[in-house]
Amino acid sequence: MQPIVSLHSVVKEYRLGNVSVPALRGVSLEVYPRDFLSIAGPSGSGKTTLLNLIGCVDTATSGVVQVEGQDTMNLSDRELTNLRLNTLGFIFQSFNLVSVLSVFQNVEFPLLLQRRLRWRERRDRVFAMLEQVGLASHADHRPNELSGGQRQRVAIARALVTDPRIVLADEPTANLDSVTGNNIIDLMKALNEKSGTTFIFSTHDAKVMSHANAVIRLADGKIVDKSSPVDAGLKQVAEVR
Amino acid sequence: MGGHFLVLLRLALRNLFATKLNIIIGAIILVGTMLVVVGGALLDSMDTSMSKSIIGSVAGHIQVYSGKSKGELALYGEMGGEPDLSAITDFSKVKAELETLPNVKTVVPMGISGALVTSGNTIDVALERMRALIRQLQRDGPSAQLQAQILSQKEYLRQILRVLQSDTKKRELIVTEKAFEAETVAALQRASSEAFWREFNRDPLNGLEFLENRIAPQASDADLIYLRYVGTDVDDFQKSFDRMKIVDGRPIPPGRRGFLFAKFFYENQLKLKAAQRLDKIKKRYVELGKKIADNPEPKQWIKENQAQTKEIILQLDQIKTAQAVERLQRALGSSETDLEALLRHLFDINDGNFNQRYQIFYEQIAPLLELYRIRVGDVLTIKAFTRTGYVESVNVPVYGTFQFKGMEDASLAGNLNLMDLISFRDLYGYLTSEKIEEIKKLKQAAGARSIDRANAEEELFGTGRTVVAEATPGLIDESQPVTSEARALRREELIRRVYSKQEMDSGVALSGAVILEDPKKLKQTIQQIQELSDKQHLDLKPVSWQTAAGIIGQFVQLAKYALYVAVFIIFIVALVIINNAMMMAAMERVHEIGTMRAIGAQRTFVLGLVLTEIVVLGLTFGAAGAVLGTGIVKLLGVVGIPAPNDWFYFFFSGPKLHPWLTAGNLIAALVIVLGISSISTLYPAFVATRVAPVRAMQTEE
Repeated sequence: MQPIVSLHSVVKEYRLGNVSVPALRGVSLEVYPRDFLSIAGPSGSGKTTLLNLIGCVDTATSGVVQVEGQDTMNLSDRELTNLRLNTLGFIFQSFNLVSVLSVFQNVEFPLLLQRRLRWRERRDRVFAMLEQVGLASHADHRPNELSGGQRQRVAIARALVTDPRIVLADEPTANLDSVTGNNIIDLMKALNEKSGTTFIFSTHDAKVMSHANAVIRLADGKIVDKSSPVDAGLKQVAEVR
Repeated sequence: MGGHFLVLLRLALRNLFATKLNIIIGAIILVGTMLVVVGGALLDSMDTSMSKSIIGSVAGHIQVYSGKSKGELALYGEMGGEPDLSAITDFSKVKAELETLPNVKTVVPMGISGALVTSGNTIDVALERMRALIRQLQRDGPSAQLQAQILSQKEYLRQILRVLQSDTKKRELIVTEKAFEAETVAALQRASSEAFWREFNRDPLNGLEFLENRIAPQASDADLIYLRYVGTDVDDFQKSFDRMKIVDGRPIPPGRRGFLFAKFFYENQLKLKAAQRLDKIKKRYVELGKKIADNPEPKQWIKENQAQTKEIILQLDQIKTAQAVERLQRALGSSETDLEALLRHLFDINDGNFNQRYQIFYEQIAPLLELYRIRVGDVLTIKAFTRTGYVESVNVPVYGTFQFKGMEDASLAGNLNLMDLISFRDLYGYLTSEKIEEIKKLKQAAGARSIDRANAEEELFGTGRTVVAEATPGLIDESQPVTSEARALRREELIRRVYSKQEMDSGVALSGAVILEDPKKLKQTIQQIQELSDKQHLDLKPVSWQTAAGIIGQFVQLAKYALYVAVFIIFIVALVIINNAMMMAAMERVHEIGTMRAIGAQRTFVLGLVLTEIVVLGLTFGAAGAVLGTGIVKLLGVVGIPAPNDWFYFFFSGPKLHPWLTAGNLIAALVIVLGISSISTLYPAFVATRVAPVRAMQTEE
């Protein structure tokens, strides 16, 4: 099976004034379709940087990042944008909904950018998606009228409405209480199983991690461990002790 | 684009009132649009009103004048007098040629000039009347009525002399006697003596001459009046400038010499000063609800009226003085017998008694007076320097006064009087055919020959010396002086003469007012006239009414430029503010823009997002500003903006400007506002497109 995402010796350095701060130091990784992959590690370990590179919102200093077989280094801004629009879906830690738009309009937004569907199809698609996240009755609400969990569901609906191959989620539960966070992960998992969409999410929460079918552990910009979630969970528990 | 546009519009509308920044930008756009709408409408209305004033009063649509002129035509004069224009020598040809153009309705000949006129002072007027009475006596023989009139007039003259003498005495108290010319004092003394008046009965004309030459100049109420007039074919003028209305008297009959005063000039220059001051207090203060007590100006006028009662007293003969005293005593409930004291009492005016005193003056005193120094029906003597430098004078009867509808109080239009073209040509120094004939006769009679300069020395001092030798002094009969009657006869003959249209047209004019069938084709027609003039060697210079009006014509243009500059400055400021505000707005939304980029929005989308927002903002607040501006203009249109002074009557084409709005004003305002806001947003929009999608990942707060 072809990996849907593959990274080879990826290095990412940020410049802070004259000092270059390494965020990733030679990461190689393969992600396969239908994966529900968790990237774990403490703050500053490079989780977000890794997600940004996979999500084509940032470029590597060196190394190869391939998404759906395309080398992102060779793509223009326009092509990268199209890749993000059509192949990727994003779920953000702080939800990132457009505050002036309603729930329906937020979910509709990527479809409008795609310009593929007519109004009726769009509406049906958006409602179907809202149905799946359980917010069909909130379609006309503004984001600020919703709870954190509801907002993240809207964000999930927005990420999935275009039927992307890969959904990237950067600490999707960090701003939620544990019960809600669990619900969100359950929802993501359910969607992963139902539609076969690949999910890659970062987290430092062991409970969240335990839902993943693979865990990559990062420390100081390097992968220190690739394991099954159960092992990872146990390891973390051991560390805490 | 459909989907994009929908979401852009949706975002723009939703964001409209979302932030304080947008409201600030909106307020700037609103005020800016309102200013442009109101200012533009005001200036356009003023421009149109003024063009009506100029076109409708003297200019016509186009003025043509001689291309040889050193100066440029300025119908309302220029700094330091009238421009130096060459004459169009044969106006009839110009008229005939120009009227072949399809858009030319008619061409009215014109010449504008000015002359100083000594308005007959009180004594002059009295003497003139005496002379008329005596002439009547000599012609028709004595009658009881006539002799009574002469007696009364004589008494009146003596009354004037008494006032003058008392005046002189008062002055002597202030100025040392030496300062007075002994001759003047002596003349006054002689004129006041019984002996003089006995002599007067015997030879009235001689007596009159003494009074005219020696006494009249002493009356200080004679004013030099600068009279600006346009000489024109009055008949054509009246037909072509249909805003002209006769107020007093009647129009100058076709083909006659004559003069029409502009009503404004007549009221402000020739009316009795006391009456003028009362009128001004009424018009500028009482009628506007302003208090006399609060303003120094009317108080000053009241003081002047009280101090300068002489101009009234001098006008009244004994009978009328008695009448005036009696009327004032009754009206004021006073037992005072001195007229001067009574007049001072009458003019002791305050806010409480103004209307009563005004009424007493006009109902009781004015009928006894000549309210105007030159009356309708008088013959006006105008003396002017001709082009060649000698003084020429003409007598023209005053037929009445006129004004232009809507410009009753406009000083610019109201100071230009109207005269027949023939008299104008006389004053200009142009020889009419009858004058040429007259001079020819005189030359024959005097035996004069024309000698060119080269031969002058030889002719005068050479051996032939025919010039001197052939002068025949005998022909001038010194025993038959040119009597005043003879002069008067010639004068009356000229006044009565009717000139043919052909005489009017052929001859000199300084310019021609071209009236068009379709004023919109003004530029085109100017071009056509120029071409025609070149082809027919007419040597004409055609100019638009605006150019012809000189400085005045440029006034509104200047005001427009001033507004444009003001608008420009306002918008530069607005540009900077909007730019900064949009920059801040973009910065505030980095996270949102980054998110949009991350989930697949292209840079062009972000550009569209910012620009759509500013356009929606501009349209919304611009429309609100335009509505507000329209409201203000409509309100002003109903209420009217009162002209702050006489000058503005002209620019406003009436006492109030009622501005109106054109679609052009609104469109211009919206285009300017949208343009400015779009331009000021270009850089913030560019900055927004540079927001990296990775910014979406960075947490807020």
